[in-house]
Amino acid sequence: MAGIVCRTASQIISSQASCSSVLAVRHSHWFTSVLSLKTSIPLRAEPKKKKKVDPRREIMMKERLKKKLKRLEKVPPELIPIEDFITPAKCFDETRIRDAPKLSFEESERRALLLKEWSRYKYSQHQTEMDTIEEALEAQRQALDELKLESEELYKAAVSSDMDLFPFQREGPSYTPPITNYEAPEGKYNNITRVYTQ
Amino acid sequence: MAAPFTRVYRPLWRIITTTTLNKGVRNVSSTRQQWSAQNVKTAGVASPWALHGAVCLQRLPVVSQDRSPIEDEFMELMHQMELERSLLSDHELRLLEDAARMSRKQEEESDEEEEDYRDKDIFTAQDLEDIWEQKLKQYQPAQRSQGVDEKGVSSSERCLAESLILLVKKDVGSQKLWLLPQIQWQTGETLRQTAERALASLPVGADLKATFLGNAPCGFYKYKYPKDIQKEGSVGAKVFFFKALLSGHKHLPLEKNSFAWVKKDELQDFLKPEYLKQVRRFIMAL
Repeated sequence: MAGIVCRTASQIISSQASCSSVLAVRHSHWFTSVLSLKTSIPLRAEPKKKKKVDPRREIMMKERLKKKLKRLEKVPPELIPIEDFITPAKCFDETRIRDAPKLSFEESERRALLLKEWSRYKYSQHQTEMDTIEEALEAQRQALDELKLESEELYKAAVSSDMDLFPFQREGPSYTPPITNYEAPEGKYNNITRVYTQ
Repeated sequence: MAAPFTRVYRPLWRIITTTTLNKGVRNVSSTRQQWSAQNVKTAGVASPWALHGAVCLQRLPVVSQDRSPIEDEFMELMHQMELERSLLSDHELRLLEDAARMSRKQEEESDEEEEDYRDKDIFTAQDLEDIWEQKLKQYQPAQRSQGVDEKGVSSSERCLAESLILLVKKDVGSQKLWLLPQIQWQTGETLRQTAERALASLPVGADLKATFLGNAPCGFYKYKYPKDIQKEGSVGAKVFFFKALLSGHKHLPLEKNSFAWVKKDELQDFLKPEYLKQVRRFIMAL
């Protein structure tokens, strides 16, 4: 479009050039000097066409990134430290050691004898517990045998597992009984556990 | 419906029953081996034993038991030994520092430049201990033991340190007996449902919320009806016990003459000897 305009303009000017001096007449600022070389940037040109080198370059970049990721993944993840297994530095502080008291002979004897007495007591306690459990199991076994003799269906129903029982939760005994209508005071709780991510 | 078993056992029964004591309710203990040998399945003949489902409702201890003397002694010993083998804690270190500082202050009364009172806390460790002591006294816990038999036998709040069993007084034949709550089995339900119904059918049954432990019975008791009641086809009854734990706190007091919450050692005051013998086996009071 601009080229055609320039050509018509040059025709007009060349026809006039014979009579008038050679002057670059600008009828409009859109037309640059006709006789000079076209050095301006075409302001309404089409978008630049992508050169073939660019897609190749992008593919190369992606591959390089993937290789870096693979190298990072190959490294085994750092193990999360178990806080319980690391003795805190406080325990190695020497100022904290207590003076060990010296035990008299009677005291050490008393301790040894008490420990033996305790082991005997615990053993007998364990025996009674085991016996009670055995007897309860035996009673149940006999009950199931009797039921089997009575009716097969009832026996099967009894032996089937109870789906509603588990998960089973119950609060155990405390030192003092619960106070009726007790409102516990509200307190703050700052959770300082460390969370590790791999 | 269920096709019940039949057993051919007649002659052996007569021999066994004549040797037992003659009471209103006869109790029989049989041998399993004899029965299994004579197991003949024939449809159409109903079992002569009436089935009952019973529930052994237990209120587990609310409070921990008192220590026996040896346990007390051992606990003291353990505390002592642990204290001897331990390191000083932060609080103890602070106590020692404060004590040292106080003694130094008393010796050199004028020398106070080294003490930066502004940086140290206003409270000494001893003061903190006193503050904690005061706070503890403000809290009044409930009483552990209710004293000797303050509550009657029918309250579920008695003997908080031990597990209690619920007993019901019921008419059996001509007598009134203390039993675990039981009810006759109906066709179409499992025995566990019978036990649940037994619990619900009590006058205050709706108030007692219980968790049944599994579908299987924990024990059984068999008794023969006295001769005059024995008809054709019903020889006696079998009661199957199911264990349940009482859930929830604060139950209304029950009627004194028909309900009782008893410990295991008190059971013998309430139950008949043969019945007691079977029931004791599955009640665990440790």
